[in-house]
Amino acid sequence: MSEITMKTADTDVQSVPAKKINKRMVKFSRYFPLFIMLVPGLIYLLINNYLPMFGLVIAFKDINYAKGIFASDWIGFKNFEYLFKTKDAFIITRNTILYNGGFIILHTVIAIGVAIMLNEIKNKLMKSFYQSVILLPFLISMVIVSYLGFAFLSVDIGYLNKTLLPMLGLEEIQWYFEAKFWPYILTFIHIWKSVGFFCVIYLAAIIGIDKEFYEASTLDGASKMQQIWYITIPSIMPVIIMMTLLAIGRIFYSDFGLFYQVPMNSGAIYDTTNVIDTYVYRGLMQLGDIGMSAAAGLYQSIVGFVLVLISNYIVRRKNKENALF
Amino acid sequence: MKKTKSFAKFFMIILSAILVMAGCSSKESNTSNGDSKAAPYEVTIAYLSFANIDDLPAVQEEINKITKKKINATVKLMPIGPAAWQQQSNLMLTGNEKLDLIVTTASGGFLTQAAKGQFIALDDLLKSHGQDILKVVPKHLLEGGKVKGEIYGVPSMRDFGMNYGFGMRKDIVDKYQIDLSKVKTFADLGEVFKLIKENEPTLIPVVNAKSVANPVTVVTGGLYDQLGDYLGVMSFKDKKIINLFGDPDYIKALELVREWYKAGYIAKDAATSTDTPESMIKANKAFGFFNRMKPGYEVQEQSMTGYEMVTVRLTDVYSYTDAAIGINLSIARNSQNTEKAMELMNLLYSDKDIMNLLANGIEGKHYQVKPDGTVSLPDGVKESKYVFNQWEIGNNYLTYPWEGNSPELWEEMKKFNDSAILSPAFGFQFNPDPVKTEIAAATNVLNQYKDGLETGTLDPEKSLPEFNEKLKAAGLDKIIAEKQSQFDKWKKENK
Amino acid sequence: MYKSDRITQWVSHTILLLLSIGSIIPFIILVSSSFTDEATILKDGYSFFPKEFSFAAYDYLLNNSGSILRAYGITVFVTLFGTILSLTITSLLAYALSRRDLPYRNTFAFIVFFTLLFNGGMVPTYLVYTEIFDIKNTIWALIIPGLLMNGFNVLLMRTFFITSIPEPVIESARIDGAGEFRTFFSIILPLSLPILATIGLLQTITYWNDWFNGLIYLTEPSLFSIQNILNRMLADIQFLASNNLGGNAAEAASQIPSTGVRMAIAVIGVLPILIAYPFFQKYLVKGIAIGAVKG
Repeated sequence: MSEITMKTADTDVQSVPAKKINKRMVKFSRYFPLFIMLVPGLIYLLINNYLPMFGLVIAFKDINYAKGIFASDWIGFKNFEYLFKTKDAFIITRNTILYNGGFIILHTVIAIGVAIMLNEIKNKLMKSFYQSVILLPFLISMVIVSYLGFAFLSVDIGYLNKTLLPMLGLEEIQWYFEAKFWPYILTFIHIWKSVGFFCVIYLAAIIGIDKEFYEASTLDGASKMQQIWYITIPSIMPVIIMMTLLAIGRIFYSDFGLFYQVPMNSGAIYDTTNVIDTYVYRGLMQLGDIGMSAAAGLYQSIVGFVLVLISNYIVRRKNKENALF
Repeated sequence: MKKTKSFAKFFMIILSAILVMAGCSSKESNTSNGDSKAAPYEVTIAYLSFANIDDLPAVQEEINKITKKKINATVKLMPIGPAAWQQQSNLMLTGNEKLDLIVTTASGGFLTQAAKGQFIALDDLLKSHGQDILKVVPKHLLEGGKVKGEIYGVPSMRDFGMNYGFGMRKDIVDKYQIDLSKVKTFADLGEVFKLIKENEPTLIPVVNAKSVANPVTVVTGGLYDQLGDYLGVMSFKDKKIINLFGDPDYIKALELVREWYKAGYIAKDAATSTDTPESMIKANKAFGFFNRMKPGYEVQEQSMTGYEMVTVRLTDVYSYTDAAIGINLSIARNSQNTEKAMELMNLLYSDKDIMNLLANGIEGKHYQVKPDGTVSLPDGVKESKYVFNQWEIGNNYLTYPWEGNSPELWEEMKKFNDSAILSPAFGFQFNPDPVKTEIAAATNVLNQYKDGLETGTLDPEKSLPEFNEKLKAAGLDKIIAEKQSQFDKWKKENK
Repeated sequence: MYKSDRITQWVSHTILLLLSIGSIIPFIILVSSSFTDEATILKDGYSFFPKEFSFAAYDYLLNNSGSILRAYGITVFVTLFGTILSLTITSLLAYALSRRDLPYRNTFAFIVFFTLLFNGGMVPTYLVYTEIFDIKNTIWALIIPGLLMNGFNVLLMRTFFITSIPEPVIESARIDGAGEFRTFFSIILPLSLPILATIGLLQTITYWNDWFNGLIYLTEPSLFSIQNILNRMLADIQFLASNNLGGNAAEAASQIPSTGVRMAIAVIGVLPILIAYPFFQKYLVKGIAIGAVKG
């Protein structure tokens, strides 16, 4: 991206007094190595992310491959209609926001708690053990999680119905047909699977905190809780804010595996398991229309984008350093 | 301000980069075109493969020996696993990759792909380079798959019809001396289930799961042509397009299956289970299951369940409009030599040696011919390193049937196909484009209720009105009206 | 004070132990079902201890993929090479972005952030990589598309650099006459082991677990990674469940792996990364030590 600066330097040559040019050149040469550092990463983003964005036009087109993507007919917002047309649109939007909102709050609080506790543990062996084990669920794919879920929840061979519930003297439950259980099941599985991941990130941030602060506060007679509250949390606040902002940006997206595979695509529980991604997937399975799926993606992105801009603006007004951009 | 300005610059750079790279790539393809001379053209053929294909190169080489001589072309077999099939086949048809022939299926989106211009129309090519195909493939099948008046796929020669029934373990049937000849209607099966339920507490009488048809689909077999998506079906009786979920016959079937479910005859998780019914029978946990059937069904099921199986088939043989587009071979838009592609396709419908190589492998290495005309693994070979899914490509009637099947398998198959009652909508292919918004919404509703209702898991009394109401809200009436009007138009043109 | 410390230790140990048990329980079912005979599972249900031992699932895996060893090799190469490359690119970009004095800093950050929200979708990405870069059926297909670097990791690292590397450190390096690159490699990176270990771990997991690139860009089985092979076995079932192939589905279904095999597949997929984990753990712990030196 050094090109950008070079271009600015070039175009300004005629109009700007010589002194200023000199100053610019000095500034430029001083930051040249930093710009070089930016180059590989930005080139990758250009290829991997920005070039394919031409695909966003697909959302507004009636694709015909014989004509090619760019020459296909424009059809305005017709591809978006199915996302808003029915009563289901309300249910899926509600589900998506409630689940993701709940997930963000819960996994942040739990992961920070676990990270703080891990950081407190003195026994190195045990510490390493806890950390590895809590990360374990993060390592397996959602398909496997869905099989594990099935091993517990299956009506006639599941562990719960076959062993645990009879032991407690309870009736067996048709898990895959009772919508009311699923908000808890899905939240539980999400937390179970992702806490290890968030914990690793917060732990890295906590480890990075300067030990001097703690030592000074101990001398002042601060309790553990006070230290956590006044040192640890504020120190990792930038990470917390960043993680939350990023999660808000994707609040209209949801973990497809969690909402599709884990409930075994069981229709009877759609009221509490159908989210935008699964709705789109199921609706387009037969049609295979890439225009409509592109439309869904664009809709999700734009909502997330707007929400992030707003939240970032709020963060920025409070503390400029913590803002994302 | 400053931000937007430099951002705009960034995009300018992106744009120029696209142009530069696009320029480079087009140059490249030009030069590569110049290189190909009179050398044999390589026909790439992509198909679905489930199994072990370590010996693929050897088989390919044998096929090439023949094709080089006959049509001055070589073949590149490109098997793709089911996991990747949907994505890769679609992506390959999107770009400009080298691809000539591709297996296409109705459930994989043949109609959409054809309508969106991803295949080449075959009508003229068939006349000029595909004479043998025209001889072998029945006209109603070839023309039945037309999209916008043109042929885009040639069906593989296989079973085109189906009848419906219940398959079950013979040892249990014998044990209780059940007289299957007394079972005349699906309702009669209730007595059999009852007997099993009472006497064999560890066996589930009916274990339908997602990998096979729902019980209600089987019980109503032959009453409707589902026209691909169940949203507006052709009634054989009324000869017009109706809402399946409001039809009295369908509701009767729902109630019957619900009775069975309540009586405990049907597996509790039939609507969601991903374990195949065959594996449940193999585990000695189940008695049987409903399914669509074809000649050789019992043999096939026996090899999968490990138990000898008997069936009661309770309907005539029916052939739906889907049959014409179920599994086809199409020529991709990106093919660089459509004539050669068609010539190869022609061989697949006429050359016995090529078809046997493709379907069974190399004689002596992957199979041996037995005196009765069927084939088996060569002596001493435990597992073949070349397995092909036979029904997929070309004229299967040219191949040796696998052992266990009747040596007359293909004759039986032909008879079976000829006996099929054709759907009143046979040859009508619906174009969903005008109502795709409604279809996307209605498909979700369909997913929510259909499996639950058709396995008896949901109570039709409560759920069916709900279901219909939601379908209505999603725009089912509009879909049905559109289908009916397209059908009327099609009928006028084809009379 | 001693007492409160002891209480903290006890409380932490108790809660973490409970969490660990909660995390591990499903895995016991996973491992035990992979050793259980399929018929037994279907009859008696899932349980924590296999009633009848069976190695059938592992036998199936061994027989069905003579290529499993090669696939492991490819996975290991892709994971190692990809992670190192990824760490290099990510940390360079993140460090430059973390410098408060970098011109257009916010614009660049925004360019990175924007990629997290908007993407062209699978089809355009595929077209870019196959038509322009001709990446199909090469080992690069497993390394580059979508995986090499993501904005999330860049921003995470940038935040770490901003909060944990004191500005005077950079300042004094400059005064000592060190160039930017030397400062970065010999001063910044050693101070950043915790975040490098974290991102390295995340990238390792990403590469190890990725099957999607293989699914899309590879038709050549000799390049399949271990996850491609495992995923292929798993996805067959879903394919049959969602595609109505009529009577023909039955023939295909006979080639589907059973429950036990699915579980064995999961075990094989997870195991190696568990073995690799302590390696990263070491650096995370080392990070603490460095923090202590710093303080």
